Order: sequence, then C-alpha cells, then structure tokens
Amino acid sequence: MNKCILFALLLAASPVRAQSDTQWVAEQATLTYHMSHPVHELDGVSHAAKGKGVCHAGQCDFLIAAPVNSFNSGDTNRDLHMLETTRGAQYPMVVVRTRFSQADAASATFYADLEVQFAGQTARYAHVPFQRVNQGGEVRITGTVPATCSDFKIDRPTFLTVPIKNEIPVRVEMTWRPM
Amino acid sequence: MKWKETKIVLAWAVLMLSLLVPKLLAAQQAAAPPETPANPPAAASQEPLPNAPAPAPAAPSLGDLGFTPQQSQPNAQLQAILEKRTHMLKVHQRLGLITTIPMAAALITGSMAKAKGKNGEPIKEPTQGNLDFHAVLGGATAALYFTTAYYAAFAPRVPGTHKHGAIRVHEVLSFIHGPGMIVTPLLGIMAYKQESAGEKVHGLASAHGPVAYATAAAYGASIVAVSWPLHLKFWEKK
Repeated sequence: MNKCILFALLLAASPVRAQSDTQWVAEQATLTYHMSHPVHELDGVSHAAKGKGVCHAGQCDFLIAAPVNSFNSGDTNRDLHMLETTRGAQYPMVVVRTRFSQADAASATFYADLEVQFAGQTARYAHVPFQRVNQGGEVRITGTVPATCSDFKIDRPTFLTVPIKNEIPVRVEMTWRPM
Repeated sequence: MKWKETKIVLAWAVLMLSLLVPKLLAAQQAAAPPETPANPPAAASQEPLPNAPAPAPAAPSLGDLGFTPQQSQPNAQLQAILEKRTHMLKVHQRLGLITTIPMAAALITGSMAKAKGKNGEPIKEPTQGNLDFHAVLGGATAALYFTTAYYAAFAPRVPGTHKHGAIRVHEVLSFIHGPGMIVTPLLGIMAYKQESAGEKVHGLASAHGPVAYATAAAYGASIVAVSWPLHLKFWEKK
C-alpha cells in the first residue's frame, strides 16, 4: 500500500516538474520566404533571426525576430526592392510572438497561435502546426507561417507588369537550447 | 481495515492536491491584476531578500535578443532613398521593355534599307522611304535607350550594399550594349549618307548591321539576365 502511495505521489509530482520555469534561446535560426510569379519562383533566406522563450507556470512565451534587410534572395536589386516594398527601413524588424501551453509543445507536432509584426502591420495566425524533434539537449522546431502580402498591406511587386502571388509562406527552422 | 481505507483516501487526496495546486496557482497568477502599491515600503522595493523565491520571468522583449540599434531602429531617410530608387528603376524597367519594340522593328527594317545590286550598276533599292523609316526607328530606339539608361544610372545608391546576383550580369552586359547603342547610330548615319548618295555601303559603315545585331543580342540577354532564374514551366501548377 505504501508503495502505491509513493508511486501515486511520484506520478503526481512529474507534471509539476515538467512545468517548472525554463528559458530558451535560439541557437540557430533560418527563416525562408517563398515568392511566386508566373515566370519566377524564388526564396529569400535569413540566418540572422534570434529568439528567446520563457516557460512559466505551464505557459510558454516565445519571441523571434529578424532584421528585414537580412533576407537574401540571391540578388541585391530584388532584396532592395523587397526592403522598399515592405517598408523595411521604416519597420526594420519582423517580430513573431507566440504563446502556447508547455504540455502541448512536448508532442512531435504542436500548434501555436502567432502574432507577426511586419511592415508596420500586425497579423495573427491561429493554430499553425510546428514539428518538434529533440536533438540531444536541443530542440529543433520546423514549420511554415502562411503569410500573405495582403496580411501586411504590402503592394505586391510586379515583374514584366505581372504582380507576384499574394502568398509568401515563411518557412521557420530553429534550434533551441535551454538557457 | 478502516485504517487501510483511510490511507487510500489520504493517498488520493494528496495526489489530487499535488495535481491541482500548481494549476490553481498558475490560474491565480494569470487572473490577478498587477499590483502597484501607492507607497511601497522603501526597504522592500530594491534589494531581494536572501531566501525570497526567484521572480517569475517576464515574457521576452525585443531588447532581450541583442540586436544592435542600427539593425532595429527605423531609418526614414533610407526608406525615402529606397522609394526614389524603386520608382526610378520601375521607370527604367518599363522604358526598357518599350525600347524593345522600335529596336526589333529597326532590326527587321534593316534588311529593307540595304542596297541591292552590284557595284557600278544603278541602285534602285532601298527606296528613300525605306531608308527614312529605318532611320526613324533607329532614332526612336536610341532616344528611348538613353532615357532608359538615365533612370538606371541616376537611381540613388543604397549605402552599404554590395551588388551580387543577376543584377551584376545585367550591368556587365550594359558595357556591350551601351557602346553598341552609341556606335550603331553613328555607323547608321554613315551608311545612310552613302546609300542616299547612290553608293553601296562600304568601309566602316558596312559594320552598321553586325554591330546593331550584337547590340540587340546583348540588350536581350540583359533583359533575360535580370529576370533570371526563369520559371519556364509557369503553366504547370505545383
């Protein structure tokens, strides 16, 4: 009977331990936007994103940000045009905030509500799926933010007088480690 | 027997409590409004007590990430430069595409403006009309070309940027079609004078055609280069 009680107490104690305060820092982060045009398909990549997360009382608050001018599409002219179109000098950072339950984030696929500040606008994306893989002491998170130009009131750039597609999905690949 | 039952009840009570207490505390913390005491005691305000629990960590802020002010501060002047640059390059792109029309027409009419017949015989072709039409097209091409070039050359430069990618090829090709667009009309004027005088084009003027073709080829390559990489199967849906 005493063993039963001890086992029950151990069981009960484990979620409490899992919900202890932890802080996370992005060890490596890559953000990639994809742009489509009838005669063009291209990706703009940034490795300059930084992130920090705080888990407290079972809730996690994460913040990820990257300078807009750090995205490289392989062509300076296009990147500068992107910077102008997205008002990147006036609003130089793309900032993503998310809050999710610590327990939910433990699964291989979890869903997060995102608040994205970009081009002077704030857009919210609910229930965005992310994949989680544990790599030693680090956690690798991958997912895609279904962003569109209209979400941020961005005038779609044109090439040969044809505008790009409204969808500019942003692929997120991040490796987090506890601080 | 009674004692055993009591122990089971106690165990379940402890289990339930251990499950519920952290959640209740968390809920209470979330629901409680932030306390802002009007007159906080001076001694309690700054120095933490040695055995006090660690304060709850706040949600991270942009300042925590360690970006430099240069990266994170707005720059209205740079935005203005970018806007002017984009405007000028949009005009450059539009005029550049328009230029291809008289350029293509000048290339097509070039053969009609060529003298036919053998040297020493009276030259009936081209007619003066054909020659003039070709000359007008060439003139329009040159005028549009240099206006197009002006918008690229005088678009403001963005400090701290190093050009890379397709734009480099686009610029390198301008060293071919740029001089070509100066030489072609000059050779064209020479050829025009010779043909108007009833002569077959000779000497340097005979290079007018080949130079024009080379210039047009470099110009076309320049347009393709800035569009690179082309997604050729654009009709296929992913």
